[in-house]
This record gives sequence, structure tokens and C-alpha cells, in this order.
Amino acid sequence: MSEFTYLDKPAQRVDGLDKVLGTAKFVGDIKLAGMLYTAILRSPLPHANILHLDVSPALKVPGVVAVITAEDFVDHGNFGWPVKDAYVLAWKKVRHVGDPIAAVAAETEAAALEGMQAIQFELEKLPVVSDMQHALDADAPLVPLEAPLGQGNLVNTHLVRNGNPDPIIAACVNKFEKTYHFSHQEHAYIETEGTLAIPGPDGSLTIYSNDQSPFITRDNVMMVLGLPQEKVRIIQPAVGGSFGGKDDINYQHTAMVGALALKTKKPVRILLSRKESLIASYKREAMDITIRLGADENGYLQAAKVDLLADSGAYASMTPLASWRATMHAAGCYRYQAVHVDAKSVYTNNSYSGAFRGFGNTEAAAAIEQAIDDFANQLGEDPIDFRLKNIVRNNGEKLMTGNLLQQEVGLAECIEWVRERSGWDEKRAKYNNQSGDIRRGIGIACYMHGSSLGGEGADYATTTLRIEADNTILVTSGLTDYGQGSRTVFALVAAETLGLNYDRFKVGCTDTTTSVESGPTVASRSTMLGGNATKVTSQKLLQVLNFAAADLLNCEPAQIVRDGELFIGPDEEPVPFEKIVEHAREMNLTLYVEGKWEMPKFEWDFEKGEGTPYICYTFGAQIAEVETDLITGETKVIGIWAAHDSGTVIFKQGADGQMYGGIGQGLGYAMMEEMKYDQGFPANINFRQYLIPTALDMPEMDIKFVQVSFETGPYGAKNMAEPTMIAIAPAIANALYQATHQRHNVIPLTVERLATGIEPVRKASPSRIRKGLGLK
Amino acid sequence: MKINFNLNGSDVELEISPEQTLLSLLRDKLGLFGAKQGCDVGECGTCSVLINDELRKSCLMLAVQVEGCRVVTIEGVSSPQGEPNDLQQAFLDHGSVQCGFCTPGMVLAGEAILKETLTPTRTQIREGIAGNLCRCTGYQQIVDAIEDTAQQRRTAVEEK
Repeated sequence: MSEFTYLDKPAQRVDGLDKVLGTAKFVGDIKLAGMLYTAILRSPLPHANILHLDVSPALKVPGVVAVITAEDFVDHGNFGWPVKDAYVLAWKKVRHVGDPIAAVAAETEAAALEGMQAIQFELEKLPVVSDMQHALDADAPLVPLEAPLGQGNLVNTHLVRNGNPDPIIAACVNKFEKTYHFSHQEHAYIETEGTLAIPGPDGSLTIYSNDQSPFITRDNVMMVLGLPQEKVRIIQPAVGGSFGGKDDINYQHTAMVGALALKTKKPVRILLSRKESLIASYKREAMDITIRLGADENGYLQAAKVDLLADSGAYASMTPLASWRATMHAAGCYRYQAVHVDAKSVYTNNSYSGAFRGFGNTEAAAAIEQAIDDFANQLGEDPIDFRLKNIVRNNGEKLMTGNLLQQEVGLAECIEWVRERSGWDEKRAKYNNQSGDIRRGIGIACYMHGSSLGGEGADYATTTLRIEADNTILVTSGLTDYGQGSRTVFALVAAETLGLNYDRFKVGCTDTTTSVESGPTVASRSTMLGGNATKVTSQKLLQVLNFAAADLLNCEPAQIVRDGELFIGPDEEPVPFEKIVEHAREMNLTLYVEGKWEMPKFEWDFEKGEGTPYICYTFGAQIAEVETDLITGETKVIGIWAAHDSGTVIFKQGADGQMYGGIGQGLGYAMMEEMKYDQGFPANINFRQYLIPTALDMPEMDIKFVQVSFETGPYGAKNMAEPTMIAIAPAIANALYQATHQRHNVIPLTVERLATGIEPVRKASPSRIRKGLGLK
Repeated sequence: MKINFNLNGSDVELEISPEQTLLSLLRDKLGLFGAKQGCDVGECGTCSVLINDELRKSCLMLAVQVEGCRVVTIEGVSSPQGEPNDLQQAFLDHGSVQCGFCTPGMVLAGEAILKETLTPTRTQIREGIAGNLCRCTGYQQIVDAIEDTAQQRRTAVEEK
């Protein structure tokens, strides 16, 4: 990629220095004079009617300043999109353990806790829906206040109708069918949820929230507090990780501290403890996915049928959209004549589920990639050879959703790279002949991942650029950076487009007053959407600079040529950037520009299950090598090789970090991370019960970006944050299958499952949960 | 009660309450926010500090325990002018920082390793940072940065 000056070259993260020095300010690091602290009364039960709620005793506790309930909000604080089924504070009933009921603001944390404990309330236990497979039973208790589709606990359905797979599968000589199960996963960002609201003298609110999408946060605060847009300003401070996890729960928190700040006329902060966060925050959906495949006598796939059931928990949150993404990927990156997918999401009382990196494809890819492996084994074919025979390879080929690929595909190159780098052929053969209790295995998985929102919604972003008095350039975006590195991507794209030194660029935190609304920061969309918007905006600013340069150099703008930061006219006298800016100021030119970029239009028909779900896809392949003890189940991942077809890489270290980090979360998902619910009570309420990978769990990773340029992306870039995590769990499962010859059909493959093959029972402790929530 | 200790190179005498944790002393009383609060029970390591060159979780320690000790927080690692030290610069160069919430603790974990040896293996580095959770990076670039700094410091020692 040598044609670029700044892209895909070593570059320091724009927000890196503050972070290594320890001076970056997270919400918990901001303290203001007179600031009040918050304690939230949360439900200790998974499902109950609120019979009685009296907050007045809390107000008698010294130091307590205010208490709020659902009655303090417009329409009782009802919110939620696409299903408006949630409340800022529970109204009428609680639907999961940790559901917030009331919030107390007090002068000290201790007083807030004491005030919360003084609240009088009575809950009437309701029967619990704990098993998603029984959520739609005729006698299942109704979890939401009203059934959104009029069909009990059904949240949503989705479908793909690409041809008719039934007769094709029936006619196939080779058939396959199996169900795979996936557990809930916790985001486990190291910084817990935090929000600080500061009231203004005019009844306005300035809110610092460690969320992902400040404009959605703002719209929710406006709605539930009945405030006009100009009275709500959301600023995103440094955010300690999110991975999809700091949306809905922070919509609740911003509304709570907003209401409390308006009521008390003082700054109010919420900061969750780790236990409270683990109990109350939403998770990745659990899913059951049944896959049927048919292949001809030569091992070529012909058709697929997939049924998918997702546990949305107590609220819809993002499950309707995550289950849509799962549906759009359920048969994977393979060629078929026909595919049907049918998906359902259901309410239960198992916490609630929402967005998490991969957004449904983490589960979908893990299912189909285990199935492809199982089918290859059934047919006696090498898993890589079987994949190479069946993957989509070319522009114009039909995808599982029936639409035609409109891009080049780097998948085969990814597979070939990991095959060679890992020593697959040799290891695969060697590990087929093992004896003893310690066994090794090597496994592969592939993926495709639709870029950005696709059919989920309008897809656009706006960047602003302003030349400051010191000739630095301030970049803002409505898309946020909670660690993934998007701010650095924008600065690099601006530097490349303007031909100005990278260190001139500063990128502000997203602020709803100074940045321009750009949709949610989700779906790995920042590079493509924000990157393109930054490119467009930079081109606009460049026009202004060239106009000023032409005026100064007595020529036409088109005659200006560049040598780095120098502007050169026909008389060949180089003029530095600073001089051009000085002249532009003398000309009274505006050195501030906005630029919007919108995704080309395409359409998915949700009713018919056909159309184009995404404008483009990323692809990739990952191989894992494991060593496992057949007796104890103890397993170590000893090697990982990963190749991702990302399009052009913009921020090199950031891209590497996305890949390594995605693999880390995928390894956790594969081997240890499991939020279990025991009749709706969470069994994992701290980091001893919910394990995430440490540095010792991670092997050395060998990675590559296959940069197949995508012309619609900025400088040919696509995206990477989510897809990098989704192949590693099935790759590990497939490696374990080679090592043990046992397929457990469950993710995660914990030590207990591997050792015993029996589904472990996890008991929750309601009394410890009460304590974790601060209740007596 | 009063305690005396050395904080980031300066001797200090402070009034504390007996039940106060070191983390609370740093954050709530001294306004040193570099040590983060991640779990309060020693599971995540983001509150890590160095006590007499050893890595400790400040949420698990009472302030009174540092009587007479040398305490180094992230604020004491960079130069007084706010320039990153070599390890911090290596974190920037290797892309070892994403969200940055574990970073102060990770830098101190790296310092603790390098105070013990300038020839750590990658496995030793992994062991040294195993008590510090990072959810963003998969740890590889953090290991790279510490390994690279060990090499740099080794070269500097050899040149002397």
C-alpha cells in the first residue's frame, strides 16, 4: 500500500498519550463541587409485580437529597427501539434481576446506599420464564407488559427465502442436521457504567456518559424528561470499553441522573460497582441454532435450512436487530442453490440481551462453521478442502441471502494464508494419529460479515473540520471512539486527503452540541461511514485552501500542486500551509467545513425475506491449535493464525489491535465465558465466577490483513472490529473435535463440559445477589 | 491517624482513616486518578501501583499498610513535565492502548517486571501481567511493548 503517505503506516493513537500517562478522564475521574452520588434500588427477583413502593423513608436519611421512580418521567419513562418495551425505572413490574426500581441522590455514597436501603417496597413473585425453548408455550407467563406482536413472549421473527431448499436437500445423497447451543456472554468492559449530569441555570443538562451513541442517549433523555433538544447536551468522555454493551443501560442512567440533577439543581453521578454491573447490564443473546445441509455426491453444498431461536431476556433491546444479522449470515460464506432461514426471538426473565460485538453473527458463524466441519468429517473430507470447494469466491456470485456479490472476495486468500502459516497439512495429519491422554488438534473457521448497518437503518455520518488559531485542525465526528481507534482513523484519513502532517490533527470527543449527528456508533461502521465523511469534508476544506492559494499565487486553483505541506503555483515558489491559512483568513474565508457521506441505497424486504441485506462484506479465516487433557478437560489454545479481508488498512496498530482483541474475546467466548441463569437468577456476579481471558490464556497470534480494496470505502477500506472475533470460537471447537473426537454442540467449551460431557449445573445465590445489589 | 511514606519520589505525611484503602486515599484524598476503580476486590488489576518496586492492587490494601514504603503510581512514571517514559512510549508505538482503562495498571505491571529482570521471556511477561485484565487488546501488543522496552533498557545498560 505504498501509494499512501499516512495510511497503513505506523501512527500513534490520537488519544494515546493521555491514556498512557493516566491523565485521561473517565466519568469516575470527574468530581465536581457539591456533586451528589447515586444508589439504585434494583430488583432482587427475576419477575414480580411491584405491589408497593414508598420512597419517603429514604428522604429521611441524613444526606439524601432526592429520590425518583417511574412517576418522575414522561410516560413513566417508557423507551426502547425498535420495540418500546423498557422503562428508565420499573413501572408496574420487574422483569429481571437487577431491573432498576428507584434511584437515590445523596451527598455521599454511604448516604445514597443507606437511603436506597430505606426504601419500602413489596414485590409479588411471578412465575419465571427461564428456558427460551418454553417461552412460547401456551401456559408461559407473559414477560412484557403487553405482547408486542400479540403472540405472548414473541419479540420478533426474521426470515430468508432464497429458493426452496426442501426438495433439494431431500434429493441430496449427503445430508446433515444438528443443533448448536450458545450461552449468554458478558461484555466485561473494565470500566463499569458511569454517567454524570450537570444542571444548567436555565433548566438544561450537560451529561457526561460513557456510552456508545451520544445522540441516541440525548434523544432518549429528551423524550423521557420532556426537554427540547437545546436543553440536553451529551458529551462522551474517555470510555473504558463497550463492545456494544453501554447503550440501553446508559440510556437509563442518563435519564436517572438527568432527572435527579434537575430536581436537586446539583451535579449527580452514577457509577456502578462491578457486581451491580454484572447483575444489571445486558448480555449477548443466548441462541439455539439448528442447521440442515445437503451436498451432492462430490461434496458440493446444494442447500441449507436454518432455524434460530434467540433469548432476548426481559427486554427487546437490540435483539430484534442482532437476530436479523444472525439470520442474514446463518448459512455462512458458502454457495447454495437455495437457503431458508427462520429466526425467532423470545422474552424470558434471564437478564436482558442486546448488542455485543458480532451482533448475532458471532453465534451464527459459530453454528454454521461447526456444522461445516462436522459435515466435512462426515464426508471424510479435509475441513479446508471442503471449505475451498464451497466458499463464495467471485464478484457476481450468489450469497446465501440470494443477492449477488458486488465486490472482489479475499476469502480464499485468507484461507490459504492461515493454512500455510499454521502448518495445517502436516499438523492435521499428525494429530489424526494420537494416543495418550494429552491430545492436540487444529481447527479452522471462516466468516463473512455484512458491513455497517445494512438493512437495519439509514446509514450516514458527518465530519467537521476547523482550522484553529494555532493552525492545528480540529476534527469532530458524530461517531464515537470508546477504544476502537476511530478517532485516529479519522485523523489519518484527513491527513491523507489534505496532504497535511498527521500531528496537526486533533480529534474531539463526540459532543451533541458541537458534533453532527451520525447515527449510532455500532456495526463496525465508523471506518467506512466516518472515514468517507472525513474524506468528503477534507476535500471540501482542500478546495478552500486551494482557492486561497490560487488567490495568493495569482493562478487558478487547478494549477496548484503540492509537495507535502507546501502549496506551489506556476511560478514554482513553494508556500507553506501556514501562509495559505493566513491568506485565507485575510480573505475572510470560513475555515470550518462539514461533510456528510451516505451509504448507497439498497433494500432488504423483511416480510418476504429477500433483497440485499448489505452493500458489502468482509471475509476471513482463523485457525486455532489446542492441547487438551482428555481426563481433566484442561485445554490450552497454543496457536492462532488469523487473516481478515478488511479492504485497505488505515490505522495499522489499531487494526492489529482490533484483530488481537477480537480474537481475545472470541477465545473467552469459546472456552470460559458463560453467564448462566438459574431460574432467572444470575450465577456469575464477579470476575471469579465470570472468567475472561488473562495474558496467560492467550497464545501468540499470527495475523494478516488481506487488503482487497473496496471502492465504496474510504481509500478502499471496509471494516474489522466485529468480524475479527467471530471465527475463533468455532475454530477452537473444531480443533477440540479433532483432538477429542467429541462434539459438545455448546459454546463455551468449559473445562467441565470437556471433562465430563455433562451439562454443568450452576446454582445462583439469591442472598449474594441481594448483597451485591446493596440490599439488606 | 497519620502515616508517612514516599509517594512518587516525595516524602509525604498524611492524615488517614484506619479503614481507608490505598485506592481511596489516592483517588478520593490525593486526586490521583490514574489508578482506576474496576472491581474493588482485586480481580481486575486496574488499580495497580508499585509498593517498594512490587506490583500491588491498591483496592486490596489499606492505606496504613504503606507506612514507610515507596509508592509509585502512574503519575510517578512519566517525567515531571508529562513526557512519557520509555515503556509508556513503547505502549504508544506498539498500539498497546485501546480504551486505556487498564493501561495505567498495565504500565505499572510492566515496570514491575522490568525492575526484576531486563531479560524476561514472553511467558514471564505474560505471567507478570496476568493479574491485570484487559478486554480490548488480547494482550499481544502489551507483551510486545514490555519486551521491546526490556531490550532498550538492556542496550542502555550494556552501553554504560
